[in-house]
Amino acid sequence: MTMPIAQRPSPLHLLAAFGSGGLLTMAVFVNGEAGRYGGPLFSSWLAHGVGTVVAVLILAVLWRSQRREAATARAAVGPAPLWAYLGGIFGAVTVMLTSVSVNSPLALAGTLALGLAGQVALSLAADFWGLLGLPKRRLDLRDAGAVILIASGSLLIILFGLGGAA
Amino acid sequence: MIVPAFFAFAVGLLIILSRQVNGRLSLSSTALISSFWNHFVGFVALTALGLVIGGLIPDNLATIPWWVFTGGAIGVVFVASGSWLITRIGAVNSTLLVISGQMVTGVLLDYLRGVPINLWVSLLGIILIFAGMALTQRPK
Repeated sequence: MTMPIAQRPSPLHLLAAFGSGGLLTMAVFVNGEAGRYGGPLFSSWLAHGVGTVVAVLILAVLWRSQRREAATARAAVGPAPLWAYLGGIFGAVTVMLTSVSVNSPLALAGTLALGLAGQVALSLAADFWGLLGLPKRRLDLRDAGAVILIASGSLLIILFGLGGAA
Repeated sequence: MIVPAFFAFAVGLLIILSRQVNGRLSLSSTALISSFWNHFVGFVALTALGLVIGGLIPDNLATIPWWVFTGGAIGVVFVASGSWLITRIGAVNSTLLVISGQMVTGVLLDYLRGVPINLWVSLLGIILIFAGMALTQRPK
């Protein structure tokens, strides 16, 4: 099994990831509105249902190239283990835990701050040990600096910058 | 307080776990196919849960504005981009850069919507984030 080697982000990766975070802001906002109408379960169910339909539509348009690409990938890496299909379960559980936490004394700010800590902790562990079939990556001082700067900037915004986050 | 705090931390773990797992699936297929499975499996699980505990479809369905239904479309691209990223730049870089984008656009969205924010603290936070993003780039 040959795995690709993880690299330092290029400007293209940086832009893509930043844009991905922007999409997340939009999705959180839109799904939050859906939750206001029908509750967290409806919101998550709707997002996953619409997402399934949209993914099928895009795949139908791109089917020829997607099938070729998938066949090449499978030939190089082998078939995916069954657990690799469970990402959607984690996503579904995430929504439920979030709604419990947001409606506790932690509120949105506490939920975001602790969630950020969880994300950073597991990412560090995942890269360090190469968890779940993804490439291992050596962490150095630059990584530590980036973690500290981005985490403290984010916590500043979450805890003291955004409105209603007292 | 302990239980919700544990849940909030677990949410962070689950976000990364989900990205790792979807990333692994994309290695054996494509990021888009992996995003399809993520949404399909989640939809089946949530449908099953909704059938058990009920109340899946709200009575006010007809009053919901159309754009509220677009979250899933954004999600498909978001999940696919996560798989694309994590298999190329690793978990830490993906996490940091996606959070950066989320924070900066979040401040921007609130600012444009007229939500009261503490502008100077937010700007200081954004400066720290940009400095951290610069550090993730290749030296030289």
